[in-house]
Amino acid sequence: MVGTLHLLALLSYGGAGTVLGLSLATARRDPPLTSLLLLLGGLGLHAAGLAVFTTRHGDLPLVGLGPSLSTLAFLTALSLLLAGALKEARPVGVAVLPLVTALCLAALLLGIRPTGEAVRFSDVWLLFHVVPAFLGYAALALAFAAGLLYLLQFRELKGKRFGRMFSFFPSLETLDRVGHRALVTGFVALTLGLLAGTVWVTRFAEAQAVSVKIAWGVLTWLVFALALLARRRGVTGDRRGAAVAVVGFVVVIVTYIVLRVAVPSGRLFL
Amino acid sequence: MAIWVVGLSYRTAPVEVRERFVFSDDAARRALGALTSGGPLREAVLLSTCNRTELYGYPADGSGAGGEDRAREMLAARAEMTLEEADRYLYRRGGADAVRHLYRVTSSLDSMVVGEAQIQGQVRTAYEVALSAGRDRRVVGPVLGRLFESALSVGGRVRSETRLGTGAASVPSAAVELARKIFGPLKGRRALILGAGQTSELALECLAGDGVDRIVVANRTARRAEALAGKVGGRSAGYAELPALLRETDIVMSATTAPHYMLTRATLEEAFPRGRDEPLLIVDLALPRDVEPAVGGGRGVFLYDMDDLRQIVDQNRSRRENEVPDAEAIIEEAAAEFWRWYASLDVVPVLRAMRERADRMRAVEVEKALRKLEHLSDADRAVVEALAVQLTNKLLHEPTVRLKEGAGNGQPVMAETARYLFDLADTDDETTGENG
Repeated sequence: MVGTLHLLALLSYGGAGTVLGLSLATARRDPPLTSLLLLLGGLGLHAAGLAVFTTRHGDLPLVGLGPSLSTLAFLTALSLLLAGALKEARPVGVAVLPLVTALCLAALLLGIRPTGEAVRFSDVWLLFHVVPAFLGYAALALAFAAGLLYLLQFRELKGKRFGRMFSFFPSLETLDRVGHRALVTGFVALTLGLLAGTVWVTRFAEAQAVSVKIAWGVLTWLVFALALLARRRGVTGDRRGAAVAVVGFVVVIVTYIVLRVAVPSGRLFL
Repeated sequence: MAIWVVGLSYRTAPVEVRERFVFSDDAARRALGALTSGGPLREAVLLSTCNRTELYGYPADGSGAGGEDRAREMLAARAEMTLEEADRYLYRRGGADAVRHLYRVTSSLDSMVVGEAQIQGQVRTAYEVALSAGRDRRVVGPVLGRLFESALSVGGRVRSETRLGTGAASVPSAAVELARKIFGPLKGRRALILGAGQTSELALECLAGDGVDRIVVANRTARRAEALAGKVGGRSAGYAELPALLRETDIVMSATTAPHYMLTRATLEEAFPRGRDEPLLIVDLALPRDVEPAVGGGRGVFLYDMDDLRQIVDQNRSRRENEVPDAEAIIEEAAAEFWRWYASLDVVPVLRAMRERADRMRAVEVEKALRKLEHLSDADRAVVEALAVQLTNKLLHEPTVRLKEGAGNGQPVMAETARYLFDLADTDDETTGENG
């Protein structure tokens, strides 16, 4: 049941991404309503899948890599929906939805079932740590997508190329607004998550066992801080902030993969 | 021929000729009233825009080209030309071609700029003017009424189901499209216009139309700048203030006739010694150019000239052209639908005769029956009457539907068969009726 719902959600996300991709390929000006409906459908199915998981296993879908990736995919898709409330920002999905689809696929391949030791979510500090941290990563993915589109649209405008990207991508102002909101939201969420995590580690856990995770969290927090710092000055800052968000996101992902391969991670959520 | 159209457009006549054929709404009402009173023309609609004047007609006998000659004479008189002179510019279409022509006009496929939005409103206005014309009798009946309603619906479908109307199709609107790609919605943005000529006026209208509410017009002659700025509640300025004006603007549109650069890199550096933080869009609409190309290298500056804007316009136009086959398909579908409806009008007299005969028979038979059933209460009598009505309606329903379908599918023999089977009197003298 959980797997089926996830598979259907994955197909919906993939469908929404494909519709947006085709819109880009055909230089449409407005993303079709179908993409929004598919995104909404995917979110509904995904939420149902996560709810069934929680009911069946009596634990939040954060225990084990598969469930954690699925939760991250859900939050990222949700952040896209929230950004898409601003109609002109919907094309951002062309960069976010492939990420969401890939996360869903990875979750399905790894298996959406609890693995590793159960997490004591009755401990409120841990919950305060994990949920904001995941929100922070979802916001970083959105900031990455908005930043990427900003840089591409900027290049089109400066280079006087009025092709498909020029037609389909939103205005620089819209992309900057979406990116900025994502960075601020992610920064606040991750800061709260890190503070709550610090309290939890100090009180209940062995710092050594989670040091890798802390390092990764701090790295992500630094990316947010740098991106926000970079965009302090007008249009140049906006562009620099977008570039930092894009590069930072890639660095965070690459670092994660390296850590996954190099360090035993039985107690990592992701 | 039945429905016909006579008229001229930018395709057949230059502007100095077209302007002689223009009708105001009142003049159109008077012309339509005169044309349809007592002549062979039953219905008429006059479409008059700056790019075309067309008269759509439907003859009283429902066939032939009745009234067309009179229409041509009326148009020639309007333009103060002889009929021979006017005929050099007038075109005629009849039947299916006339219907398709109106659909193409309303969908803007026949417009100078394919996909432009105004024509649909102009067709609607022409139709409304015709609806309000005629003192003693209406000049729009069921046929042209249906034709224009369907044309407006086709125009709406083409706009919503194709991308025929998307993207800027003129140079000033391309400049606004660029501005929107940088700033998003332009409401609350500030604009500076250099020059006060015709191009500047077009740019000003485009910007104001898109929500830019703080506009400054700078010009060599203060009076012209004031007059232009006054149109949108903006303010005027002289070129000497240029560096200060640049600091207070988001969009610059330059269209002076100066033979040298009006805006140089040095001016930009004077305005922003430490570079500009906010984006600045500069659109050079002048030939020779007003803006030194090196200005485009400034931080935050997006500089475009006429060639860049034409690139956008050409791309949009070619994109619109790609949508034409889809629009034509919608038009063909709607035209076929219209002709099915029109053909079904042939059976209206037959249907009316069938209905009248059945109602007469019902009334006689019910009366006979009720005379024999005098003991019935009023409620029972009402039931008997209702039963008779129901039976008549049910018996006539299928033949009515089949006859309409048959006529719509080009089977007029069915109407003849119905006349024979129901023993109906000759109904050919009946017109298409008012409720078709």
